[in-house]
Amino acid sequence: MSDGGVQPGSLVDELPGELMMWVLIISELLVFGAGLIAFMAVRLTDPTGFAEAQSHLYRTGAAFNTAVLVSSGYLAAQALHWRQAARRGAARLALIGAALLGVVFLIIKGTEYAGKLGQGITYETHPFFMFYYLLTGFHAAHVLAGVGILLLVAWRDDPRNIEAGAQFWHMVDLVWIMLFPVIYLLG
Amino acid sequence: MRPDPHSFNISSERLVFAWLILLAFSFASAVLTMLPVPSAVGGGGIMFLALVKSRVILSRYLGLAQSPAWLRGFTIVLTGFSVLVFGLYLI
Repeated sequence: MSDGGVQPGSLVDELPGELMMWVLIISELLVFGAGLIAFMAVRLTDPTGFAEAQSHLYRTGAAFNTAVLVSSGYLAAQALHWRQAARRGAARLALIGAALLGVVFLIIKGTEYAGKLGQGITYETHPFFMFYYLLTGFHAAHVLAGVGILLLVAWRDDPRNIEAGAQFWHMVDLVWIMLFPVIYLLG
Repeated sequence: MRPDPHSFNISSERLVFAWLILLAFSFASAVLTMLPVPSAVGGGGIMFLALVKSRVILSRYLGLAQSPAWLRGFTIVLTGFSVLVFGLYLI
């Protein structure tokens, strides 16, 4: 009789790290993926208006933010590697560095929002900006949560905690990698 | 400390290489938007680079390199997503 648990050697057993983090990663990818597909579908109703609206975005800042986030992801991954090698100090510094880069991402994003709002561009200006604020804002909320998680696991630095925190951070990274080209580049 | 069999481990060199690939492909995406190429080529290139970057994050940062079946599954779904987005872009 099955006990309902994960059987050794099963496919689920192959997943590295925390299983529940993978459930979260898949859920988040589905939510953001659905949002981006809806964005592209609504774009069909007014491609010229979407292209014009997109020209108001700060592409350079967003491209820089991509570099910031993948560098932060590198530090989070490196932190786990160092913690597993019992280099606790280096791991903690890498996690704090990853969190600081997350703060840099949020500052650039906040500057971008302030610039838009200063021009009178709100979510009501055009459907493009409704998706823009919704999707990038929801992602920014995840970055904010991720910064807190990275600092938490830098403090409570059990390797499993760091692995779970890094998994969350890589999910945030992964979502941005798919969100950035669709919202900012496909004009 | 006994290593956790579920835990993901990767060498520092591979992590650095993955990071450099991600930076290079991000730069390539930015360059692609500035080149005078047809929008289909530019859009296709941008989505292809995003797909490759997402695969690097899954395999190296998230450790799916040690679980090829899962990496294949994620790659198939993300490829389907990229193709759908690109198709909607071309319409």
